[in-house]
Amino acid sequence: MPEIDPTDHEIADLGPKIKDIDDADELREMLELEEDGENRPPVKTLIESRIEKLEEADAEIDPESVDLSELTVADIANLVRDIDDTDVLREMLEREEAGDDRKTAKGQIEDRIESIEGSDGEGEGAELEYVPPEEKHPDLDHPTADKQWVERLEDAEYRDMWVYCETQHGELIDVSREMLGKARQLMDDYNDRYGGDEDGEPEDVVAVLIGDSVGDLAEQVIEYGADRVVSFEDDRLDRFRHKPYTEIFCSMARAGGQVADEGHEDVDWKDYDEPRYTVFPATNNGRDLSALVQGELDSGLASDCSGLYIEEAMISNPAKTGNPGDSKEFERILHMKRPDFSGFEYSTILCIDKPFRDFHPQGASVIPGSFEIPEADPEREGEVVEYEMDLSDDWFGVDVTEFDTLDSGIDLTGHDVVVAMGRGIGDSPTEGIELGLDLVDAFDDAAFGLSRGVITSSYNFEGHVESYIGEDRQIGESGQVVEPDVYVAAGISGAIQHKVGMDESDTIVAINSDPEADIRGFSDYFIEGDLFEVLPRLTEAVEAGELATAVAEASDD
Amino acid sequence: MHSVVLTKGVPDFREGQVSFDEDGHLERGKTPTVMNPNDKHALRAALQTKVRQGGTVSLMSMGPPGYMEVLQEGMREVYADDLYLLSDREMGAADTWATAMTAATGIQKLDDPPDLVFAGFKTADGETGHTGPQTEWCLDMPLVTHVISLDIDEEDGVLRAKRLVEGDVEEIETVEAPLPAFVVADPEFEPTYRRADHRLKHKDLRETTQDRAEEFGEYLADDSDLDPTDWDRFTMWDHAALNLDPDYIGLDGSPTIVAGVDPIPKAPSEREATVVDPDDDAAMERVVEELAPYAGGD
Repeated sequence: MPEIDPTDHEIADLGPKIKDIDDADELREMLELEEDGENRPPVKTLIESRIEKLEEADAEIDPESVDLSELTVADIANLVRDIDDTDVLREMLEREEAGDDRKTAKGQIEDRIESIEGSDGEGEGAELEYVPPEEKHPDLDHPTADKQWVERLEDAEYRDMWVYCETQHGELIDVSREMLGKARQLMDDYNDRYGGDEDGEPEDVVAVLIGDSVGDLAEQVIEYGADRVVSFEDDRLDRFRHKPYTEIFCSMARAGGQVADEGHEDVDWKDYDEPRYTVFPATNNGRDLSALVQGELDSGLASDCSGLYIEEAMISNPAKTGNPGDSKEFERILHMKRPDFSGFEYSTILCIDKPFRDFHPQGASVIPGSFEIPEADPEREGEVVEYEMDLSDDWFGVDVTEFDTLDSGIDLTGHDVVVAMGRGIGDSPTEGIELGLDLVDAFDDAAFGLSRGVITSSYNFEGHVESYIGEDRQIGESGQVVEPDVYVAAGISGAIQHKVGMDESDTIVAINSDPEADIRGFSDYFIEGDLFEVLPRLTEAVEAGELATAVAEASDD
Repeated sequence: MHSVVLTKGVPDFREGQVSFDEDGHLERGKTPTVMNPNDKHALRAALQTKVRQGGTVSLMSMGPPGYMEVLQEGMREVYADDLYLLSDREMGAADTWATAMTAATGIQKLDDPPDLVFAGFKTADGETGHTGPQTEWCLDMPLVTHVISLDIDEEDGVLRAKRLVEGDVEEIETVEAPLPAFVVADPEFEPTYRRADHRLKHKDLRETTQDRAEEFGEYLADDSDLDPTDWDRFTMWDHAALNLDPDYIGLDGSPTIVAGVDPIPKAPSEREATVVDPDDDAAMERVVEELAPYAGGD
């Protein structure tokens, strides 16, 4: 049996885990498990490509003779990691310069040289000396509201993963349960891997509940995975309010430590300075709160994450190591993976201490729906802490005078046909959307969807078309998942996040002028043409019942 | 009424503008910079305030000198009166917290303290949605985010706004906040000009600011040394002018770093697509046969 059964994990977690496995046979066993189990194509691809990679590596690349132009930059990065001889590296660098001269490839080799030389030179281990800012920059008179003037805590202690559980009308929202399940899994793995904190004590999942009558939810939160619940109730908090929610969360986070608020220096449920990790929902209010809390605690965060894992990180960024050329391993780092650049790339963000300044807690907000809701375990036990503090009237300057619940939005599921549009409409966005809507109208029961690319674009839509552009029509990983009888994808290139939202459709018809578009690989029909020409023809043909009529009419014009 | 609007330049993500290197990474240098699309909603909110309440609008950004063109674009949109660029190598590679520190200090340095600060929601490149709230946290003002409509009541010294709340159900809240206040506009923000004189004023302002933006364009074209004293509506401040410690801004002041960027993996192929040439009627007909059973819209 392989160590990891892929069917127990979500796709986002498996990536880094699979990368760590170097035994191709073990991977093959995993592949079998996946095939017999959930049989998710992206998981299989992940495992297969890892096997392929290992087999290539087995072919033993000799750095002194290999043709660098045949290697990708990633291959070069892997190759140089195992080379300790700087002469070999320098010789590789020369060959790259003479050959493809790729900046990124050279960067990988140079970084490796720098990290080797840094480690025997004066760089590593060189004691960094603390210089107070007023001596370091005598020209500046150091403004700074207390928010800009923070230094490292002496012997700071950070522990546990704190999860802000957002509620609506007295109930946990789904993403709160999803985060608790994820946090449970992360901290179970953490405790297995590191044997708990530095003293061998297991670290916990701490759930935070703030609101009007949220205390009633404590039991539920424990059932979903929390070890401890810290709750605060006040009837002025029935709606989310930025200032008091931030102050309360931060007061809880600091309680019992060196920076505790007055009156909270000694609490029986916490004896560390601040949380090690914090997790918030990437909802409008949750994301705001995450930014404010992490700012107030003088730390950082990544927003809208879809994958989280904890492992060590080797960092050579001098802003973090203190010395150019040094590489330093940071332990127990929360790796926060998020779609970035309008969905073009995944970035992995790390929140890391620097010399003389701590950046803890390491914070993240997570996209709702990224993780599964765990099964509640009514047997689970946990500690419930009812936090008490005074709320200043000044914090309630922003007043919620009214609220209305909106209709549940647009449901793209359950229709016979879905017509979805992508960035192929770029030449004339308004017209493109109109053509898509015309096709929708030709069907008895069809819905109109969009790829994420259209929503994050800066297209200007005119007239009524604008009302069709919004996240509530997005299909894909962070949008809706549809399984119609027929899916028409017009001008959609077929990013993997889009595929997740539509690949269970019975028949997929893609229209794309780029014969190399990825969507071709998961379409049943690939109409290689311009959507501005093809869509009206399809509409006309569907309306007329057959294409022949449409063609005949068109040729009469 | 003095408003400040924060804006940022981002790569132009429209089809055809984005450039990738051989590893599939975005090439920022080769992708043109434009004003962050979401900032336009903040600009519209500020413009509505200027048209309805009168007063001035300052537009502020942090970034390389090239962002002056972004400011010029913004000047046209918001009919801004003056422009501020916080620009310094020390400010480079800042994450949201270090950006917020810098922007907040820039706002505090203004001679005329603002009654309203406007920011957009996410940027098209970082997409964090954090910079607005964190800048407010440094300034400690009443904060109203995700604003979709806005009314200013100068007599009572308050703003009234509608804001969007997400969760298992979506809600719209009506909130009231004392001025000065910090407003983050939602991408769904809609300005309203109910009265005819507002529409007239709008037109007047457009004409005068067009001229001003042209003037700034000439200044940009003429003076490559970028002496900020040459054109009194433009001010550039570096970290020393802002009295900011370099250890607390830019990369050095940033809690977070980007450890890796992976191209999003390609979707694996699973279906054997029949490639259809749109000029081949017989092939197109097979597609239509798939669609025809669902016809019947009216």
